[in-house]
Amino acid sequence: MSSIDTLYFVFLVTGFTVGFGHCIGMCSPIVVSLSLNLKGKSVLIPHLLYNAGRVLTYAILGGLAGVLGSFTILTSSIVSLQKGVLIFAGVLVLLMGLAMGGWIPFGRIFGDGGAGSGVLSKWFRRLSAAKSPIVYLPLGLLLGLLPCGPVYTALLASVRAGMGAASALEGFFSGMGLMIAFGIGTIPALLLVGKLAGLGWIKSRRLIYKISSLLMALVGIYFIIQGIRY
Amino acid sequence: MNQVVKQMLKRVLISSLKLVILVILCLPNTVNHEAARDAIGADLGREAPVHCDIQRGPCTKHLAGGMTVTLDILPKPVKAMTDLKFQVTLSGGKPVRAAYIDLGMPRMDMGPNRVDLRLVKDNVYEGEGVIVRCPSGRRTWKATVTLPETGKVEFLFDVIY
Repeated sequence: MSSIDTLYFVFLVTGFTVGFGHCIGMCSPIVVSLSLNLKGKSVLIPHLLYNAGRVLTYAILGGLAGVLGSFTILTSSIVSLQKGVLIFAGVLVLLMGLAMGGWIPFGRIFGDGGAGSGVLSKWFRRLSAAKSPIVYLPLGLLLGLLPCGPVYTALLASVRAGMGAASALEGFFSGMGLMIAFGIGTIPALLLVGKLAGLGWIKSRRLIYKISSLLMALVGIYFIIQGIRY
Repeated sequence: MNQVVKQMLKRVLISSLKLVILVILCLPNTVNHEAARDAIGADLGREAPVHCDIQRGPCTKHLAGGMTVTLDILPKPVKAMTDLKFQVTLSGGKPVRAAYIDLGMPRMDMGPNRVDLRLVKDNVYEGEGVIVRCPSGRRTWKATVTLPETGKVEFLFDVIY
């Protein structure tokens, strides 16, 4: 096994362990929101697509890190975008929470129908009414940009892997491979949370929806504040 | 009737179990484990880790056997997400093999982030690295300096975001 292969394995395992710790803490509000948005439909394919999108973003960032050979250049160029994505994720979770609880004036943006005519309400309706779960792929692509400590650590390793490569192309693929390994490692934890939050197994859904709505709204506000302060 | 009750109990048990798993999975987001564990540690009289003020200057710790390890991080102020130079000065002995520093957050898995050190002059070792930023806003980081076959020391300090 070459040193880069060992590194792939190390980051696959790191992704797995970090997934069940850090990622569940930081990303479960988003994953739970997506599951609740599916309202009893199968959660597996949408979540797989969401995770595929996330891993694809990691792969692109890893490739760029491998080519650039500088962690600070890469992260300083995407910091504004990450700030925006963090605020967007906060708004997304907050609105989903408020809509699910029936607390926003333009009607339920969740699920079937709804009276909203704004851009956001139309977008949410499209998301929840979509026949094809493919819409979860671009969502994963975007949310893969969320600022995250362990993702930064993996990017740092991608930079180092790229620096040790013989050519820019090799650096690109080394960095990309490492981030893919890390991203794949994080999938089981988020899939499990998504599946458990599918709510198909909970009988008193009404109460759970109300509690979840409140928690989601609070988490959304927390994300927005963190995004503004980031 | 008995069968129906049994079936109901079974369903309630399975649902409760799933709910417990969901709560356990979501709990890390709501509890400040660091503060809780520090409080428990203080109550038990456990030795608190040295909290070094790396923004003002180097920090020193002693290893068993009389060896002294001094850590400095440059440039000041020490900021996350910037290129940093880690400098370790040893006195009272030499490491058998190359020393290194592992960076992480106390009780939070941030992935492996190692700074390899090389000898730059007598007893002074240096390496380059980056302290990443945690979006949660926590600023306390831990640098574990390992001297192979000799020992390791931990330095806890705050960085600027």
